[in-house]
Amino acid sequence: MPFQVTKKSRPLIYQQGRSAILFLSPTLLVFSAFILFPVLFSFYLSFHKWNMFSQERAFVGLENYTRVLQSAEFWSVLKNTAVYTLGTVPLNMAFALLVAYFLHKKVFGKKFLRTAFFTPVIISAVAAAVIWRWIYEPNFGLLNYFLSWFGLPSVNWLNDPTAAMSALIIMGVWKTFGVNMVLFAAGLEAIPQHYYEAAEIDGAGKWSKFWNITLPLLSPTTFFIVVMSIIGSFQVFDIVYVLTSGGPLGTTKVLVFYLYEQAFKFFEMGYASAVAYLLFALIFILTLLQIRFLQRRVHYT
Amino acid sequence: MRSPITPLVGLVLACSLMFGCGQKKDRAAAKVTITFWHSFVSSTVPALNELLKKFEQEHPNLAVKAQYIPSGDALIQKLITAIQSQTAPDVSWIHADYLQNLVQANAIYQMDEFLHGPNGLAAEELNDFYPALLEAASWRGTLYSMPMEATNLGLLYNRGLFRNAGLDPDRPPQNWEELREYARKLTFDKNGDGKLDQVGFGIPIFPASGPLGNWMAWQWLPFLWQAGGYNINLEQTEVLFNSAAGVQALTLWKEIYHELNLISFTPDYDAAFPGQQLAMMLDGPWNLPRYRGFRHIDWAIAPLPAGPAKRATIVGGEYLAIFKQSQHPQEAWTFVKWILKPETQAEWSMKSGYLPVRHAATKIKAYQDFLQANPGLKVYVDQLDFGQSPRPVDFHGLEITRLMAEAIEKATLGKQDPKTVLDEAAAKANQLLQQAAQAARK
Repeated sequence: MPFQVTKKSRPLIYQQGRSAILFLSPTLLVFSAFILFPVLFSFYLSFHKWNMFSQERAFVGLENYTRVLQSAEFWSVLKNTAVYTLGTVPLNMAFALLVAYFLHKKVFGKKFLRTAFFTPVIISAVAAAVIWRWIYEPNFGLLNYFLSWFGLPSVNWLNDPTAAMSALIIMGVWKTFGVNMVLFAAGLEAIPQHYYEAAEIDGAGKWSKFWNITLPLLSPTTFFIVVMSIIGSFQVFDIVYVLTSGGPLGTTKVLVFYLYEQAFKFFEMGYASAVAYLLFALIFILTLLQIRFLQRRVHYT
Repeated sequence: MRSPITPLVGLVLACSLMFGCGQKKDRAAAKVTITFWHSFVSSTVPALNELLKKFEQEHPNLAVKAQYIPSGDALIQKLITAIQSQTAPDVSWIHADYLQNLVQANAIYQMDEFLHGPNGLAAEELNDFYPALLEAASWRGTLYSMPMEATNLGLLYNRGLFRNAGLDPDRPPQNWEELREYARKLTFDKNGDGKLDQVGFGIPIFPASGPLGNWMAWQWLPFLWQAGGYNINLEQTEVLFNSAAGVQALTLWKEIYHELNLISFTPDYDAAFPGQQLAMMLDGPWNLPRYRGFRHIDWAIAPLPAGPAKRATIVGGEYLAIFKQSQHPQEAWTFVKWILKPETQAEWSMKSGYLPVRHAATKIKAYQDFLQANPGLKVYVDQLDFGQSPRPVDFHGLEITRLMAEAIEKATLGKQDPKTVLDEAAAKANQLLQQAAQAARK
């Protein structure tokens, strides 16, 4: 909704604007110092060579960007990030919708269950990853112990290059689906009851109600969740850092972990800033594409 | 919804208004406080506090304010921030890996400033230090730090498991062939469920990009030397870890790794050894205080087995650097010099499990008695005589170590051909060395 400024209201707006700035100033100060400045500074850095120690920053133009794009490792971490995204987002959404759908009904202990499913979101990622390390531990871990009940072979979850990404995805879903569950729950609440009543009179079954009423009317929520989840999974870092540190054999090295390494292990600040801006561009384009192609399929009541 | 931040901010503000948090002025103007940053493992901190207390008793006009930073990575990042904001400590404990960066940032003193000063160290005193340590404490032949303690790598083994397997616990493996043979004999899967119940030897393979990647590379180097190789040439123009010796050392690791099927075993050897699931592993002396608590295990330390070319182990340590931003460099040097005294070194070694940095400490009667009572520590101290430190890499040392670690991981876990992966890593490393040489010429 663009705000129409007419001549008459300008003085009022002007007054309001002044007091608004005054009220906003503490937040704006914090925002400028901790968000705006770093964003601009890293953009500046992406055209320079700087190792964090020295006082001088040599201008190198687009060299950092070309070096990133020519680096084989960059493309392989990009691929890993895409695999992680393709693994977590659908699973995450399916799981979130399922739980939200069942908790939407009258279930005993509904509030408790909702809280329980939301808890992983609040737990610090580092603490959670430490717990999951124990779950995945090959010799005395919980997961292999469960598998052995069903006579399944034990898996060295975090050290086997073929299994590590799955381990990461499972934990990623567990950690983040709670947010989407709450969003879906809110979306379900918002669907007016009379559609279902009308459908029942027409003799629709459970499945057909879900398929023809619930899903289409949830689509604004679903669209929002798709966009946000993809952005979130492209930015995954903390659980990777603690759970696998990008290993084994670099199979779980994701973009932000790579960026962190370049910046804080090898002190290549300019290069890392270029990686950050490429990631920004990538997420931006992906989001635009989603808005273009998915928005059309969104129904509003 | 109220933001949880608000009360916090209020608290900080109130605190700083009332007390000027952390900005306490020393009342006694004559007393100089030396700030000292370190990241010892937490189990060592009590011993460190005792040491610092002793220093303060002997130097009534000096106080040491120690600040503990949980990991080496966090420490270097904190140091960078501090250097930029002119709040660097007087003395900090650093890893030799970061020497290059600190020197190029012009952040730390050359030690010559103090060594040849009025309160210096005589040349014969310097000769008393283990040369490998001084080499690692230098950058391009100039001393920029002093070793605070030494470590090296030994073979930790479980005598009880040796006996069970019919091996003589008083005769640990002497060479590569025996190491391999013992490892095979000590590995078995009792119930045939595909899960190893006991593993003979832990080849330390960790993600190269993880916190233990450097630790893996560090443990591989002695095998490279035992085969007669080096990590880099003296001219700093090319790396040598892909030589025939490197291929030999990596092939050994790869073969043992697959013979024992280590892919299915936990990489957490620190838990597997006390759990009697692991018979032999490589380890340093810093864990000795912990092992003394294992009453249920009959363990011992042996020197590393000899390789086809010679005996070798890797010597490392942590180093003390004095920062140019320090207001009290002379007092900081007094502290460093006190740490280097033979008596201090002996006492520190007995309490912490680290090794002394100089011969004179090992001649002290109390220390010799301690070694007799702790044969494990004695093995480590004796090994210092044939220990080597990796040849310092002047530029891009961190990246080159990483490339080496990646090659080790690819050959063992990734089942790739040792020669191929070492050559690939060496090609990338040599490219970095060339870039550095070009930049230096500019």
